[in-house]
Amino acid sequence: MIRPTRREFLKNTIIAGGSLASVPLWSQAQEAPAEPLDMCIARWQGAAASAPEEIKTLATKLTEQAISALGGMKRFVSKGDVVWIKPNLAWDRTPEQAANTNPDVVAALIRMCFDAGAKTVKVGDNPCNDAQKAYPASGIEAAAKASGAEVVYLDPNRLKETAINGKVLTAWPLSSEILDTDLVINVPVVKHHRIATVTLCMKNYMGVAGRETKRNQWHQDLSTCLCDITAFMKPRLCVLDAVRVMTANGPSGGNLADVKRMDTVAAGVDIVALDALGAELLGHKPESIGTIAAGFSAGLGQIDYRKLRHKELAVT
Amino acid sequence: MRPAFRARWVPWLRRGAQTAFLLLFVWLLLRTRSRDPEPPEGFLRFFFDINPLIALMTWVATRALPRAIGLAVATVLVTALLGRIFCGWICPLGTLHDAVSRLGNLLRSRLPKPNPWSPWQRSKYYLLAGLLVIAALGGQWVGVFDPIALVYRSAVTVLLPAAQYAIEKSGTAVHEADPHVGPLHATAVTEPVYRFFRDRIFVRRSQAFLQNNSIAAFLAIILLLNLYRRRFWCRYVCPLGALLGLFAVRPLLRLVNNRELCTHCGRCSLNCQGAASPEEPGEWRPWECFVCWNCSAACNPGAIQFTLAGPLRAATAARLDLSKRAVLSAGVGGVAGFLFFRLSPQAQARTYNPDLIRPPGACEENEFLRRCMKCGLCMKACPTTALHPTGLEAGVEGLWTPRLVPKIGYCEYNCNLCGQVCPTEAIQPLPIEEKRTVKIGLATVDTTRCLPYAYERQCIVCEEHCPLPNKAIYAVEKEILTRDGRTLRLLQPHVDPALCIGCGICENVCPFEDRAAIRVTSANESRHEGNQPILGGHFTTGRQRRRRRGRASSRPPQEISNGPYN
Repeated sequence: MIRPTRREFLKNTIIAGGSLASVPLWSQAQEAPAEPLDMCIARWQGAAASAPEEIKTLATKLTEQAISALGGMKRFVSKGDVVWIKPNLAWDRTPEQAANTNPDVVAALIRMCFDAGAKTVKVGDNPCNDAQKAYPASGIEAAAKASGAEVVYLDPNRLKETAINGKVLTAWPLSSEILDTDLVINVPVVKHHRIATVTLCMKNYMGVAGRETKRNQWHQDLSTCLCDITAFMKPRLCVLDAVRVMTANGPSGGNLADVKRMDTVAAGVDIVALDALGAELLGHKPESIGTIAAGFSAGLGQIDYRKLRHKELAVT
Repeated sequence: MRPAFRARWVPWLRRGAQTAFLLLFVWLLLRTRSRDPEPPEGFLRFFFDINPLIALMTWVATRALPRAIGLAVATVLVTALLGRIFCGWICPLGTLHDAVSRLGNLLRSRLPKPNPWSPWQRSKYYLLAGLLVIAALGGQWVGVFDPIALVYRSAVTVLLPAAQYAIEKSGTAVHEADPHVGPLHATAVTEPVYRFFRDRIFVRRSQAFLQNNSIAAFLAIILLLNLYRRRFWCRYVCPLGALLGLFAVRPLLRLVNNRELCTHCGRCSLNCQGAASPEEPGEWRPWECFVCWNCSAACNPGAIQFTLAGPLRAATAARLDLSKRAVLSAGVGGVAGFLFFRLSPQAQARTYNPDLIRPPGACEENEFLRRCMKCGLCMKACPTTALHPTGLEAGVEGLWTPRLVPKIGYCEYNCNLCGQVCPTEAIQPLPIEEKRTVKIGLATVDTTRCLPYAYERQCIVCEEHCPLPNKAIYAVEKEILTRDGRTLRLLQPHVDPALCIGCGICENVCPFEDRAAIRVTSANESRHEGNQPILGGHFTTGRQRRRRRGRASSRPPQEISNGPYN
C-alpha cells in the first residue's frame, strides 16, 4: 500500500474538509435554473480587427466571455488556490507566427484567476526551443508578468519520477512544479502538426514532461501516450485559443502565410470535445485524428461536442 | 627633490585594484549571455580590448587593423610610463597566480624561498618571437598562451561548470531529502540560494564542455608551478608579459635603491613578484617588474623607493639582454611550427572534417584560425551549450577553438549571440536576418537507424523541430510490410539541401542518444566553396566575401537551385 506523504495527507484533508464545508453552498446553487455548461465557443462577430490593439481586445473579450458562460472562473478556482496556467509555449516564435498560445488569452485567464481568489498564478511550459528565447519571444512572459502572474522557467533538476499508470507510460519524470498546484489550466493554440495532424489540448500536456525526459519517444505511439498523460492530468478546465491558427508547417511554423485568423476561443471541461472542435476548425473530421479517437474510446471525453451542454457565443 | 613613493600602503592599494579587476572579470563573464531582447553590451570585451597582444597578433596575422585598437594602445602607453602595472595590478590571471603563490607561501612552514632572477625568464620573449613569426606567416597560436584568453577559457569551460554542478547537485540533493526539524526545513534556506544561482548567476542550464580535461589540466599545471617559483607563468611564459616588458625597458616610474641606506638584508628580493632584481643598485630589471611595490614596502631602512624620472635621464637599470641567437632560433621554431600546422590536407582545404561544424558567421577556416583566440566567450554565450572546445578535429592549430556539437546543443534559429560576443570577429557579428541564411552544415538521415526506415516505428521528431519556415526536413508517407505481414503507413524524413542550414536541432532531438539517426556534418557550409556537394548550392555571405582579401572568390552568390528535390 502506498502511504500518503504528510503533504498529501494534509492536502487531502483540506480538500475533503473543504468539499464537506461547501455542500450547503452547492445545494443552494442547485436552485439555479440550469446545470452549468460543459463547453462554450466564443466567436468574434464584431468589426474586423487588424491592428495589434484590436486583436488584443478581441482575444481578451473572447476569453472572458467564454469563461463566464461556463459559470465564471469561480467554478474552478477556490480562494487561496495556486493555479498553473499551461500555455503551449514551445517555440522561439512571435505571437503573429501562432506557434505559441496567444499572450492576451493567457493574460485574461490570469486576471480571472486572481479575481476568483487565486493566491498565486504561475505560468510556464517545457519548451522545445531554449526557454530563455521562447518565453520572451512568445510575448507570454511580458503579458503574464503584467497581469501579476509568476513566470516560471521550469527546472530540469526538479523533474520527479511520477507514476502515471497508463498503457504505455507507466511512469515518467514530470515537472513537479506544475503538479504541485491546485489547478492546471490547459491553454493550447490550434495548430497543424505533421505526425498528430493537429496539436490541441491533449498534445499540450507533453509540456509537463521536460525536454530532458526523452518525451520525443512518445511520437512512436502518440495517441496512447497522450491518452495516458491526459488521464493522469485529469483536466478540469481547458481553453482552446484559435485567434490565430497555424494551418501548415506546424508545430513550429514561422511562415506568416500559414497563419489564418479564426478569432475564436473555446473553453470547456471536456478535453476530447475541445480537441474535436479544434480538428474541425482545421478542416478535419475528429474521428480521423488518432489522438481524439483514442481519447474518446478511452473514455476521456465526448468526441461529438454537439451532444454536450454547449453554447456558441457571438462576441462583438 | 623628485617625488618618491615608498608608502607601505601601496601593496594594499594594489591588492584592492587586483580584487576589483578580478570582480570586474567575473561580472563581465557572467554578463556574457542575453535575455532577449537586450543585446549584449560592448564592454563585455573590455579585457580583450585593453589587451595589446591580441590586437598586435590579429593585426599581424590578418593584416587588418582590429576594430577597437584605442584601448590596447592606451595599455602600451601606460606601460611605457609606469611599467608592467597591467601584470601586477590588472591581469585576472596574474591575480590568480598571485593568490596561489601567496597561498603556497602561507602553507610553507619555512621562510619564503630565495627568489633570484633567472636567465630562463628570457624564454617568454622567445616564445613571443616564435608566435609572432607564426602570425606573420598567416597562422595563429597565441590564444593558447594569451593570459586573458586563457583565463576566460578556463573559467568558461572548467571553473563555472564546476561551480554550477556543485550548486545544482547539492541544492537538488537537499531538496529531495528535505531534512527538517519539525516545521524548520533546510530547504527554506537552500532553495532561495539555489534559485538565486540558477536564475541570476548561471542562467544557462547545466553547462559542461568537451575538452574540459585538457583545459583544466593546463590551468592546474600553470597554477601549481607557482609553488615552484612565485608567479612562474608571468615570469617565464606569458607572451603578453613579454610584449609589455618590451615597452617597459625604460619606464618613467623607476625603482631607486639608495646604496647608503641598503643593508643587503634581501627582503626586497624575497618579496619581489617578478624576480626583477631590486636588491642590487643599478641591476633592477624594469621589464620583469610588475610594479607590485612589495620591495619598497618591505624595505625597513627605506632604501628602495619608486620615483618618476625623465626618459633622458641616465639609466638606473640593467639592459634587456636577449640573445640574438635565441631570438633567431625562436623565429625558426615559429616557421617550423607554422609548417607543422599547415602541412595537413585539411589545413590546405583538400579535405573537410565532417565534425568540424563552426558557429554561424565563422570566417573561412584559415582566416578563422588567424582570428580565434580560443577564449570561449561564444561557448559561454551559446543558449544551448552547443559550442565546445575543439580537440584535434581542426589540427593542432585549431586546438580549443569552438565547434558545434549538435548532439549536445543546437544552433538556435533566432540567435546570433556568438558572433556578437566574439572579441576578434572570428565569428562575424551578423544581423539576425543574415545569420538565419548562413549554412553551417547539412543534415543527413541515416536510414539504417532512423525509426521509420529501419525499425517500423513512427517518429518524425526531427521534422517537428526543424525551424525553417518551410521545413528543410519533410516527411514522405511510405507503406511498408511489417514482419508479421501487416501494412503500416510510416512518415519517413528527408532533407532538402537547398533549405537546410545545418542548425542541428534535428540531431539534438533525435531519440537516438548515442549516435543520432539524423546527423549534421560540415558539408554545404557557406564559408567553404570547396565543401559543397550540391550543384549550384554555392553560397557566400557578402561580409565573408569582403573579408576574404584577394583570395576571394570571383563567383557571385547564386540563387540556390532547388535541383531535383522539389
